[in-house]
Amino acid sequence: MNTVNLPRHLLRQVSKPARYVGGEWNSVCKKLPDSPDGDVRPFVRFAFCFPDIYEIGMSNLALRILYDRLNKRNDIWCERVFYPAIDMVDKMRELELPLFALESKSPINDFDLVGFTLQYEMCYTTVLDMLDLGNIPQLTSERGENDPFVIAGGPVVYNIEPMADFFDIVLIGEGEELLPELIDCYQDWKLSGADRNEFLYKAAAIEGVYVPSLYNVSYKHDGTIEAVFPVDEAVPQRVLKRIELDLDKTDFPVDSIVPNMEIVHDRIFLELFRGCTRGCRFCQAGMIYRPVRERSADKLLEQAIEMEAKTGYDEIGMLSLSTSDYSQLGCLTDSLLEVMTPNHTSLSLPSLRLDSFNLGLMEKASRTRKGGLTFAPEAGSQRLRDVINKNIAEEDLLSAMKLAFAGGWSGAKLYFMLGLPTETLEDVAGIAELTAKIEQIHRELPREQRPRRLELTVSTAFFIPKPFTPFQWVPQMSQEKLHEHQRHLRSLIRSRNVKYQWHEFGTSWIEAVLARGDRRLGQVLRLVWSRGARLEAWDEHFDLERWLTAIEDCGLSIDFYTSRERKYEEILPWDHIDCGVNKEFLWQEYQRAQSGETTPACHEACMACGASCFGGGICYEQK
Amino acid sequence: MNKNESEAQSAAVFVYRLVFGREEPAIWLGHLDMMRTFERSLRRAKIPLAWSHGYNPRPQMVFALPISVGMAARADLLDVSCSEPIDPADFLRRINSNLPAGISVSECIAVEQSRDSLMSMVDQAEYLLEAENICMAAEVVLSGNEPMFTEKVRKGKTSSVDIRPLILEWKCHQQDSLYIRVLAGSSSNLRPDLLLKHFVDQGKIAQLSADDAAIIRLKLRLK
Ligand code: SF4
Repeated sequence: MNTVNLPRHLLRQVSKPARYVGGEWNSVCKKLPDSPDGDVRPFVRFAFCFPDIYEIGMSNLALRILYDRLNKRNDIWCERVFYPAIDMVDKMRELELPLFALESKSPINDFDLVGFTLQYEMCYTTVLDMLDLGNIPQLTSERGENDPFVIAGGPVVYNIEPMADFFDIVLIGEGEELLPELIDCYQDWKLSGADRNEFLYKAAAIEGVYVPSLYNVSYKHDGTIEAVFPVDEAVPQRVLKRIELDLDKTDFPVDSIVPNMEIVHDRIFLELFRGCTRGCRFCQAGMIYRPVRERSADKLLEQAIEMEAKTGYDEIGMLSLSTSDYSQLGCLTDSLLEVMTPNHTSLSLPSLRLDSFNLGLMEKASRTRKGGLTFAPEAGSQRLRDVINKNIAEEDLLSAMKLAFAGGWSGAKLYFMLGLPTETLEDVAGIAELTAKIEQIHRELPREQRPRRLELTVSTAFFIPKPFTPFQWVPQMSQEKLHEHQRHLRSLIRSRNVKYQWHEFGTSWIEAVLARGDRRLGQVLRLVWSRGARLEAWDEHFDLERWLTAIEDCGLSIDFYTSRERKYEEILPWDHIDCGVNKEFLWQEYQRAQSGETTPACHEACMACGASCFGGGICYEQK
Repeated sequence: MNKNESEAQSAAVFVYRLVFGREEPAIWLGHLDMMRTFERSLRRAKIPLAWSHGYNPRPQMVFALPISVGMAARADLLDVSCSEPIDPADFLRRINSNLPAGISVSECIAVEQSRDSLMSMVDQAEYLLEAENICMAAEVVLSGNEPMFTEKVRKGKTSSVDIRPLILEWKCHQQDSLYIRVLAGSSSNLRPDLLLKHFVDQGKIAQLSADDAAIIRLKLRLK
């Protein structure tokens, strides 16, 4: 086994060397079997790569689930690979050290399979840099028989087209069953001694596996797609995502790795359910994770107890898209508190929809101090909230704030988006009006019933149209208009009680290009990377100019990707991927949005979005 | 039971002193990482920890002397307060099967709960420094008796301190291995990397060998 030696002088020169040395509790080290003889299953080394630094990557649940799942098999060793912080990357290049996995310190090109989990588009250049640091050819077409297969999974792969040149295999959906099945297929292929291409064909036959190189794309004169077609009839026309139907039966990592250094989400997590019933029209997660599937409260309690004992963590968090919608939230919270409090383990509740019931839960859980309250009205006016199907009424929000003040909370953080479809300056002004109303409520409460100082934070992000949402056809608002809307809001928020935070525009612009991009962006990505782009999810490493020039140098137009209105008939770059929710439903939702018509959540009424095709989850429950 | 009695009762704790060492890969943890790591290990080992009172209860653990990133230790000390007595041998077994790679406990001793914290009892530390030609440097630099001024930055102000009085004893093992005994603790403390820096500044060893040096804290001596 090749290993990378990290000299002491290197580790002394970089910040937080604990990121690079491994050895954490519950991390898994295995012995490689002696040279395999004929008929035993080949031992598979899997490098699980997260294209960001340790603290961020270790906070990711998918990594923990799959690490646990794969390492339970004794014919697989799954190890972790993170992007080193910039100081370390530069030093590694200087010393010619390749990117390595934390457990064995083996360079990543020694692995059979190198899998990336992609959580946001802005990680793409980091992926390219990791391949380069790991001495793996970036282009699939350049990889040879001795190179690993490079795999991608995660939420952004529903449109992986901009990265299609770089991934051999893409896993659409949840990896718990899919990844082990792919590895079985790899072992069979390895035993067969066939060539590299043969494995790709075999893999493409697995449900949920997308092999980009087995599809050709042709374009029309106007730059839109003419057709996407498999190179061979053995390759499926469309790839349907894979999901787990019964979460109570899927393994959950109870003996999760305990990092030695502090990470972003430094606690153990319970995954209450997958999916979201709400159907907000801007939200990709709400569509691609359909249908909603819950874990039972009994199972979660059991997991929590075991996890606490096996990790020693003193804090438990809950994870899901909208925790308040968990059907057994009250009884789960009560039983968790009952079991955990004697051990001095605290429960941290995520932001809940604010009603008296949830506030009660939050009060119970906040043993020591009040955690921050967060709200996401997303838009400033009821009209616009109807357009995006965000089901929060102003009265509810205001009465919730009243309850919160009475309960001892001194403020809240409010999240909004700017640049939503049909948004006007009036809608934007609604954001400021809302904060003014909250201030008024605070003022009007009797002195003893309110906190002395009111602290409100308004945070805005720019809306980015995403694939597989009803807004996948809409143009992104122009840069000038977005700036105007933001300036308008800034000029209206004048109170000392209200802090305004906003995101930079540049990243949102490029994210919008990549989110709905096609394969031609591969060359742009490579160019941007070769000009030094990496770790661009971090504002300080992002350079808009570099992107704009690269797009131009490749003869492409940014407006084509961002501000163009797409027609229903247009073949979208991701149309051959099927997340269960069908295009007709999304289009119908888009039409309803334009007329400001709201759509009920799955638990209220089924709108037959298509996701019932998986044969389980909320679609088959009593409404 | 009145309030005072209840406080006196809850204050009854049983203190255990752990002698622990750390080697690769754990030498790359900072002091806070060590605290967090021990706390979680103790919880996994189901040691009946005594908790501090007040707003945000914490387990009561005291490290004799913080350890810096990149430094190994053979016998550092940590006092852990428990809410009920526990057999030291059992404690030792349980904690050792719950520590991450590179950390181990060699002894567990029940000690009297004392007024002085373990931190204030530390007096001296012994180190082993291993670097290319370090002994030659030591012969030249440490044999004389002129002051060894070293820049120290404290609260943004730079001052010059003579570190020679902090060095109590030194011995060369081989060419590349130097034993030193120095003052340690909260009042005066010599960090071995300052000494290495001195060797480099005097041109006696190369920066790279100083950066590559193995720094091992062999022992802490209490007053
Ligand atoms: S089929 Fe109906 S219940 Fe199922 S996810 Fe779609 S809208 Fe919701």
